[in-house]
Amino acid sequence: MNKRGIGWIVPLLFLGVLFFWPLGNILGKGFAGDWVLHLLDARDWQITLFTIWQALLSTLLTLVLAIPGAYLLYRKRFRGQRILRSLITIPFMLPTIVVATGFTIFRDANHLWSNPMIWIIAAHVFLNYSLAVRTIGSFWMSLDLQTEEAAAMAGAGRFRTVWSISLPQLKPALIAAASSTFLYCTASYGVILVLGGGQVHSLETEIATAANTLLDLPKASALALIQTLLSVLAFGISQTGGRANIGIELGDHDGEVKRVDRGDWFAVLITLPVVVLLIGAPMFQILVKTFTEGDGFVSNFMNLAGRGARDLLNISVVDSALNSLRNMIIAATIALVVGVAVSVLLSLPTKRKSSVVIIRVLDVMFLLPLGISTVVLGFGYLVTFGGYPLPLRETWLVVPLIQSVMAVPLVARLVYPALAALDQSQLEAASTAGANSWQLFWHVKLPMVRFSVYTAAAFAAMVSLGEFGAASLLAYGDQATLPTVLYSLISKPGGENYGMAMAASTLIMLFTFAVVFLISRESRPVSKPKRNGLA
Amino acid sequence: MPAQGGPLTRALLNKEGTKVQKLFKAAAVAAISGLAFAGCSPTVDTKTVVLVTHDSFAMSEELQKQFETESGFKLKLVKAGDAGAMTNKLVLTRDQPIGDVVFGIDNTLTQVASDNQLIDGELTAVDFGDVCMNYDLEWFKTHSKSYPANIRDLTSASYKNLTVVSNPATSSSGMAFLATTIDVFGEDGYLGYWSKLKSNGLKVVAGWEDAYFTEFSGSSGHGKYPIVLSYSSSPAFEIRDNGKSQTASILHDCYRQTEFAGVLSKAKNAAGAAALVEFMTGKDFQAALPDSMYVYPIDKSIALPETWAKFAPAALTLAGEELDVTGNRKAWIASWSKLFE
Repeated sequence: MNKRGIGWIVPLLFLGVLFFWPLGNILGKGFAGDWVLHLLDARDWQITLFTIWQALLSTLLTLVLAIPGAYLLYRKRFRGQRILRSLITIPFMLPTIVVATGFTIFRDANHLWSNPMIWIIAAHVFLNYSLAVRTIGSFWMSLDLQTEEAAAMAGAGRFRTVWSISLPQLKPALIAAASSTFLYCTASYGVILVLGGGQVHSLETEIATAANTLLDLPKASALALIQTLLSVLAFGISQTGGRANIGIELGDHDGEVKRVDRGDWFAVLITLPVVVLLIGAPMFQILVKTFTEGDGFVSNFMNLAGRGARDLLNISVVDSALNSLRNMIIAATIALVVGVAVSVLLSLPTKRKSSVVIIRVLDVMFLLPLGISTVVLGFGYLVTFGGYPLPLRETWLVVPLIQSVMAVPLVARLVYPALAALDQSQLEAASTAGANSWQLFWHVKLPMVRFSVYTAAAFAAMVSLGEFGAASLLAYGDQATLPTVLYSLISKPGGENYGMAMAASTLIMLFTFAVVFLISRESRPVSKPKRNGLA
Repeated sequence: MPAQGGPLTRALLNKEGTKVQKLFKAAAVAAISGLAFAGCSPTVDTKTVVLVTHDSFAMSEELQKQFETESGFKLKLVKAGDAGAMTNKLVLTRDQPIGDVVFGIDNTLTQVASDNQLIDGELTAVDFGDVCMNYDLEWFKTHSKSYPANIRDLTSASYKNLTVVSNPATSSSGMAFLATTIDVFGEDGYLGYWSKLKSNGLKVVAGWEDAYFTEFSGSSGHGKYPIVLSYSSSPAFEIRDNGKSQTASILHDCYRQTEFAGVLSKAKNAAGAAALVEFMTGKDFQAALPDSMYVYPIDKSIALPETWAKFAPAALTLAGEELDVTGNRKAWIASWSKLFE
């Protein structure tokens, strides 16, 4: 326990200084005003209920569609699988205006179903589908397949096997996927703003209006408090679904992955339309526009190499791409190291009741950044890091740091369930064989959960690449990132700017694809002739 | 080491296993160096002047160099969101300002600036832009319809389902148009006008970008609505191969947004800040404004670019800019929202 206590120092210091301090600071300013009034306002509770309702619906739909997707993309194999896995990841964190532009491909359907809620929920699925597929899939990949195979041998159908054998085993991953998706949807801002035409209100859009337009800090703080309680509540409910420590035997079984065959028709029937229509079509629309708008493909990209014909940008897109890359490397690595450390510490077995409670509290603390308003956190950074003792505000590092704070919970949500699900008796065997806890982590645990670690690395990188809120918090002229450049382009009239904006969107998509493709390179199932027979 | 772990560890230590370790090692090194960097604080000297501005600000490298040589100060830019968010950030950080000088506080925000004593001395007007309705000339030609002449026309049956505007609650151009309608139709009449617009098929979107690039038919977005709320300068950027603009503006009843610059009250480099404000009202900066920020120079003696003079003149009649937007914003948005939500 003592050793573990020491282990917590660095992650807690990280979260305390970079999250709770600025958050407490800004909420403190708000709570100095008449914030209680807002907790009594019926309209605010209506908005809260709406936020919960749309997030639940989005989460449910995402999960239902993601399970067959995870099955096909991770539990089976087929040609082009790796490319497809990376392709579906692109939408996650794609700037909202790009999502909205991509969704114009549905314009005719839009007249048929004019209710904006349909499009908001569709966009939430578009953005979160890959997160759910990868969370479930990378966990599924590490599962022991013996029981599934036994059931199949006993004559159970494919659908029944997955339903009654795999799904219960996948519970930790399903819970993790559900809570991340739910929190992303409760904190969703741009999608609700743009696709709702500014007439649909959620907690986050209300907070942004209160803070950015009205400078009503008491209101923003009251709503941020509701938002935080919502995250804690969601966490509590997800915990009643059962602890993750159910002793699943994780093994090194990627050799047994079978090809997709006729028996998988049901999963294909669901996944194909999702991938082609919902995920593929909007991205295709952006690509088409890159080729057809402005002065065409070549000149759109040529213009990007400079600073635009009219000096619209203070920085060339090449430089901003380098800034994005630098921020991504720093943010993703910090998030990976801190997130994995948190996951390991959370997953260590505990017997004493008091430590169980402490672990739960720590667990929810490291989940909170996912569900908190970036606008509020950004304002917190402004008032906290202005000078002594930590003048972070003046350096470009503030952007990757705030991004890493946002990515840590995601990494923990991906790696922790996998670690917690490891069979304790296997670990004890290694431990009695003389491995100390570091060796146990380094040589046993880390390799066993590697698929989840790769996925976590990819998503931490995505969070940084597509992130706009923090990057625009205080964008120093020479520190623009790809998303901020994109916004400067699309906020001015003219076909040339629009063409450049589309080209910048394509660049973001290509960049994302390349990063995910490279990071997930190693998680490709390799055909092996024989099982190693350990599990 | 593997020998200690028994067969389990040995089996796991295959090639794949060592890759994840490599990834993790690299991550740890990068993370530690990143955090170490964060420990070093930067130094801001009095030879640097920090300009806080909104996201739409643009100043060419040549002009930046010119300012630096003429004044002897180094220029650093900080972009802090749209004009509203920027002003609010300045209010929040008033005691430890994020820069020395601000550009981009507009006439809807000057009250906020003075209420909070943000500025040392006076705000200086630098440029203006006119929020006007734009229409797609080509669309009206192919549909053999006459162009709308004023904003009253938009409620008539022949312009049904043709207009898109941005939401006043979420965009500054939307707010500008709301103020225009209050000025033109009066406090008692403006909601009647909006309800007529609504029943005439008005489309409301969140921001200018969505209205102009996603819904407007005259821009590169190829939307379905031929009338859009934009700026009188926009037609200068829709010039086609025949040398003519595809769009034009209704030049009556427009809202004039004037943008100001000023020295921040707790500036570390007040002298540099004042020098920059002066430079912004100088001939060279003023002449570059149309091309860099798509706005009109405040200095009327500056000649507009040829395409602007031809296709994008400033508005002929104005409405709304005298109203107190800061004081009334909440109430106006509340009554407008009742009608539209």
